[in-house]
Amino acid sequence: MKIRRLVVLASILVVCLVLLTLQTRGYGTHTGDAVALVTTPVQTAVAAIPRAAFGVWSLYLDWKGVRAENRRLREEIRRLRVEALWVAEATEENGRLRRLLALRNRLPVATLPGEVIAREWGGWVRSLTVNRGRGDDVKRLTAVISPDGLVGRIVEVRLGASIVQVLTDPSSTVGAHVVRTRTPGIVEGEPRGTIRFKYMARDGAGLAVGDVIVTSGLGGVFPRGVPIGRVRAIDDRGSALFHYALLTPVVDFGRVDEVLFVTGERMPDLAGFFPTDG
Amino acid sequence: MRALLALTVFGGGVAQATLAPALRIGDVAPDLPLIVVVLLALRRGPEFGCLAGFAAGLLQDAAGGGLIGVQALTKAMIGFAIGALGGGLRVTQPLVQVPGLALLTVVEGLVRFALLKLFHFPAPFGELMVYVVIPQALYNGFLGAALVLALAWVEDYRRHAS
Repeated sequence: MKIRRLVVLASILVVCLVLLTLQTRGYGTHTGDAVALVTTPVQTAVAAIPRAAFGVWSLYLDWKGVRAENRRLREEIRRLRVEALWVAEATEENGRLRRLLALRNRLPVATLPGEVIAREWGGWVRSLTVNRGRGDDVKRLTAVISPDGLVGRIVEVRLGASIVQVLTDPSSTVGAHVVRTRTPGIVEGEPRGTIRFKYMARDGAGLAVGDVIVTSGLGGVFPRGVPIGRVRAIDDRGSALFHYALLTPVVDFGRVDEVLFVTGERMPDLAGFFPTDG
Repeated sequence: MRALLALTVFGGGVAQATLAPALRIGDVAPDLPLIVVVLLALRRGPEFGCLAGFAAGLLQDAAGGGLIGVQALTKAMIGFAIGALGGGLRVTQPLVQVPGLALLTVVEGLVRFALLKLFHFPAPFGELMVYVVIPQALYNGFLGAALVLALAWVEDYRRHAS
């Protein structure tokens, strides 16, 4: 056993000394090559192990980083989405207000802007609550318009708010006429939330789908020439005294947010101040 | 024995390649293969210590770019010597481990220097001793002692667990 140990030691000593001698005698390159044959694969493997381990570690760190970044980005996306909604809402509101302001500026009649703060859409009553009331000197039966056309009239004035009866309210009636044929009639609200134009049969021979109905101005409540709706269908009742034209309102009552109260005493013809070409 | 030998060489090489740069204090890095060879020679005897020292040293020589065979020879001799003396050394005492490993490192440095001189390789003795060998010897001493204590603790833990 002892001899074997000594043989091992002696062999190693001899190998090392031979290696060193060869190198100092000018065979360094060959010696280096010979040793490299053995050591290079081992060194490659030795180098590969930590590289792989560090690779896995760095992959894990990357993954952790990506997860954290993902969480942060999701949070940011959520925040930006909310902000985008705010911006879209503000832009839309800005556009609406600009249209309202433009209308107000070009109308030859005094108006008061108001914001819709509530809607009653039950069927029995169809009305809007606007944030202008007795304090703003608002009067009952004041006409209410939007940049698209007629909304309705004020039926109740409270402290700080007014109730606007919209055209689709079943008890709403407005004197109107057809722009193209000047056929007079009455626009009535219906319980199902639509409006119709009631006219005398003898006057309505030339009525056609697409005709625009505007206020007639008779009665002094509404100014003349404010668009109400467009003929969608004609209900011809044969020999009956009155015929009906079903209308599509020019104002989307469910979405109108800002309105103008027509407060002026004078009621001029407003026909040229609203778009009537669709 | 072959598997353990390969594991030693690989373990020492991997440790030297990965841990030594990380454990560097200033310009001083520990000689991890030397520590591994010494620890294993104490447990496995002179033959194993000699072969492990030779293989680990040869790898270090090949990686270093100097004279091939210097560290192989010094580490083989140290592995053999420690393996042969292992039974008589009280290496469980930290007071023995730290100076023991430091001394071994210095001895290895001296033998290395002697070999380099013998084979006409330029090496300034004073600077090598002051800036390389002695700081590394101290580092090896403390690190080796810490490793011995850690291994002893692991063995105790395993014994209690079983």
